[in-house]
Amino acid sequence: MNAEPFLQLDRVIHEKGRLAIMSLLAASPQLAFTEMRDTLNMTDGNITAHLRTLQEAGYVSVTKEFQGGRPLTTFALTSRGRRAFTTYINLLEQIVQQTKSGK
Amino acid sequence: MESSWATESLQVIRTLMERSAIYRRALAPMMLLVGGLGLAAAVIGWLAGIGSPRGFAAYWLIVSVFALAGAFFVVRRQALTEGEPVWSAPTRRVAQALLPAFFVGLVCGFLTAWPTWREPLQVWWLPPIWMVLYGCALHSAGFFMPRGIRLFGGGFIVCGCATLAVVNARSYAAGMPDLANAHWLMGAAFGGLHLAYGVYLGFTEKGKNEA
Repeated sequence: MNAEPFLQLDRVIHEKGRLAIMSLLAASPQLAFTEMRDTLNMTDGNITAHLRTLQEAGYVSVTKEFQGGRPLTTFALTSRGRRAFTTYINLLEQIVQQTKSGK
Repeated sequence: MESSWATESLQVIRTLMERSAIYRRALAPMMLLVGGLGLAAAVIGWLAGIGSPRGFAAYWLIVSVFALAGAFFVVRRQALTEGEPVWSAPTRRVAQALLPAFFVGLVCGFLTAWPTWREPLQVWWLPPIWMVLYGCALHSAGFFMPRGIRLFGGGFIVCGCATLAVVNARSYAAGMPDLANAHWLMGAAFGGLHLAYGVYLGFTEKGKNEA
């Protein structure tokens, strides 16, 4: 089996928690911090750490605003993040296809 | 090994992406509010003796506006409490799915309420048509909501069709009772069914936000 696709997988996205965050954001234009935390059953500290890593990689952008007098923090995939996520998915599909075709 | 891991990862990604698109705010408070309003409106409508074709249609159109406003208030309050956007992507999808059938219901209501020559018998068709349309709206929205909503919508469609059959049969045979009695039909459908589902959700939606 050709190990190349596996080696090309983005290490930032490859972590389970960050992959989950990227998956949620890929299906929504934006998501609030609490929405992601509750959907993924993560602790505040855990999800904050993952989001910081994704922000540092330039994959996720953060918007802070006020809604009804309360602070609202939302996250969205950047175009770079979307490209990286698409590439990651394509590589996973390649790995599956390679095994099916017996390469 | 790598292939099985990759397949599992793709499955997890797909599940998470689907979950992200699902409307996940608590529905019990909304159902209880709409149900309570529907039942109260039925009692008030009957006590006030609103039995004219125009009065009946206009009255329930006004009630539906209050119900929609109340439901939006509950959604907004939950979103603000949870620190989430009110007009989130899943909320938009649900609203878009509800809109066509709601619009047709509104048009049916206006067409019934507008002419002064309308016979009470003709207006007896309105509650079952509204029930069917509401069921269709819920069924469409159910693709972006928990599965129970589609079943709930299906319930409205079945009840609406059954009522259509009864109205159809009776309109040619025994005739229909006074239109003021149609308030009870509206109360049973839009009040009773919502209340029953709201109570059910109240017990099963534990862990979600409360309004």
